[in-house]
Amino acid sequence: MSEQQTTKSEYKKPLPDMRPEGQHFWENTKQHKLLLPTGADGAPFWYPRAYAPGTLDPIGWVESKGEGTVYTYSVHYIGPSSAYKGEPPHVVALIDLDEGVRMMSNIVRDEEGYPSVAPEDVSIGMRVRVVFDDVTDEITLPKFVPVA
Amino acid sequence: MSVREATPNVAETRRMLKKGIVIAGVGETEQGILKDRGSFQLLAEVTKITLDDAGLSLSDVDGMVTAFSFVESTLMHSTTLADYLGMTPGYFASVAVGGATAPLMAVQAALAIDAGLAEVVLCVRGDNTRSGISSSGMIAMAREMSHGAYEAPYGLTTIGGYGLLAQRYMHEHNVPQEALAQVVATQSEHAALKWNAMLRDVVSVEDVLATRMIATPFHVADCSLVSDGAAAFLVTTADRAKSMKSKPVYITGIGEGYSHQYITEAKSVEGVRDGLGRAGRRAMEVAGITPEDLDVAEIYDSFSFTPLIALEGFGICGKGEAGDWILAGNGKLGSKLPVNTHGGLIRQAHLGAMHHIVEATLQLRGEADDSARGGGNHQVPGAKLAITNGSGGILAATSALVLSSEPPSA
Repeated sequence: MSEQQTTKSEYKKPLPDMRPEGQHFWENTKQHKLLLPTGADGAPFWYPRAYAPGTLDPIGWVESKGEGTVYTYSVHYIGPSSAYKGEPPHVVALIDLDEGVRMMSNIVRDEEGYPSVAPEDVSIGMRVRVVFDDVTDEITLPKFVPVA
Repeated sequence: MSVREATPNVAETRRMLKKGIVIAGVGETEQGILKDRGSFQLLAEVTKITLDDAGLSLSDVDGMVTAFSFVESTLMHSTTLADYLGMTPGYFASVAVGGATAPLMAVQAALAIDAGLAEVVLCVRGDNTRSGISSSGMIAMAREMSHGAYEAPYGLTTIGGYGLLAQRYMHEHNVPQEALAQVVATQSEHAALKWNAMLRDVVSVEDVLATRMIATPFHVADCSLVSDGAAAFLVTTADRAKSMKSKPVYITGIGEGYSHQYITEAKSVEGVRDGLGRAGRRAMEVAGITPEDLDVAEIYDSFSFTPLIALEGFGICGKGEAGDWILAGNGKLGSKLPVNTHGGLIRQAHLGAMHHIVEATLQLRGEADDSARGGGNHQVPGAKLAITNGSGGILAATSALVLSSEPPSA
């Protein structure tokens, strides 16, 4: 993980909208744990909601091993805000976790500050594993690095 | 997740449309960068054009269906416009389902007419999206389709969201980048003939591929435009239209389809294709037609990839075959089924699917020749049947219409 802590005022990229039902998830990413919400049958689903989608059952949580496969990706040469200006392109990907859910993240290099992988280093079907990017004192985003 | 499929009653939809629900007037303003006109001003301008097309005055309109504005924030868009225009409609509604809005406005009008709530319904949408939007509004628009907690923090853009699906589609079906560029090239030939198209130059596949990459697989030229402008269509009954000026065009098919909201939730390429395709397939089922019967297709084209998966979902092309289809010259004016004869969102202007409906109507009226107003002839000779659609979100929600120059026969 990054040794350097960034304060909220320095981090200009979008931070997650905080809702009560997401609090448990973000508290755990801060502890470098990737939790997945589960329905009454124990099967994980994504994304966290207050009730299990499709049944409205109460939810539970299970920790993910953090390994998966790139389902698809798009190399973004322009970001959604001026905070991305002047940066190398970032890779937005959909990752199929081995637990059977698909989540969005960035494909990054396992280096200080988790910089983006080069566009030519990402492909559909590539194996990846989770890393935890402490983007601010409060928020840690799960990101993924290629598995050699 | 359990999925509750809607069970539309085709016979009941046909019963409504058999009354003769028609588009009896259309209108479009200039499109592009119109710094001298505000959002409601554009809506008023296009209302006048549309009423003139039908030979009506404002007092003839008793129903009003509008959409939304990126610039003017109001929770009561339809009645705010009614106030601006100086009218007191008996029926009013605003529809907000992103790019699926325009065909859903027509559906809303048809339902109101069938229920006896109104007889002459103005469906109007316009905005100064290009000139009037603030930078924070632009960021909000770019993030509009991202989940605020689980997608937006990764720097997803709307373009990239479509890119995620397009890249997987191209991977699964071995579709080359050139197929996407050909969609743009084909539509550029059509936009060159459309009087109010923002981009009138004809571009080649090579030209498209030479533009700047925004989010793979999309270059600048693969993306829809951001524009100022307005468009409208007037929905009424065939009986009422008899006393109006323009040739009525019948709505003979309606269909809707949904598969996901956030792109992360899209299960598969096939799931998306089937979800959006359901809209077109149902509309054709209601109309009692097959894809082979169509003369023209005005297909929502937020990105160059968008019409490809829709053509497949509607059954016009086989799965994974739309790229080859378009590369073979299909979709062009002069081919068996011309697609986006006005240039679409990529070359004409972006106003959801409003222009697709207006263009389909003009085609079926035999009036898609803009030679007299600085454009060219983009009329499909003898066009009698058209399909048109709009998709909101990242191909999340789709609404489709079949339009016909003849009354419903089914």
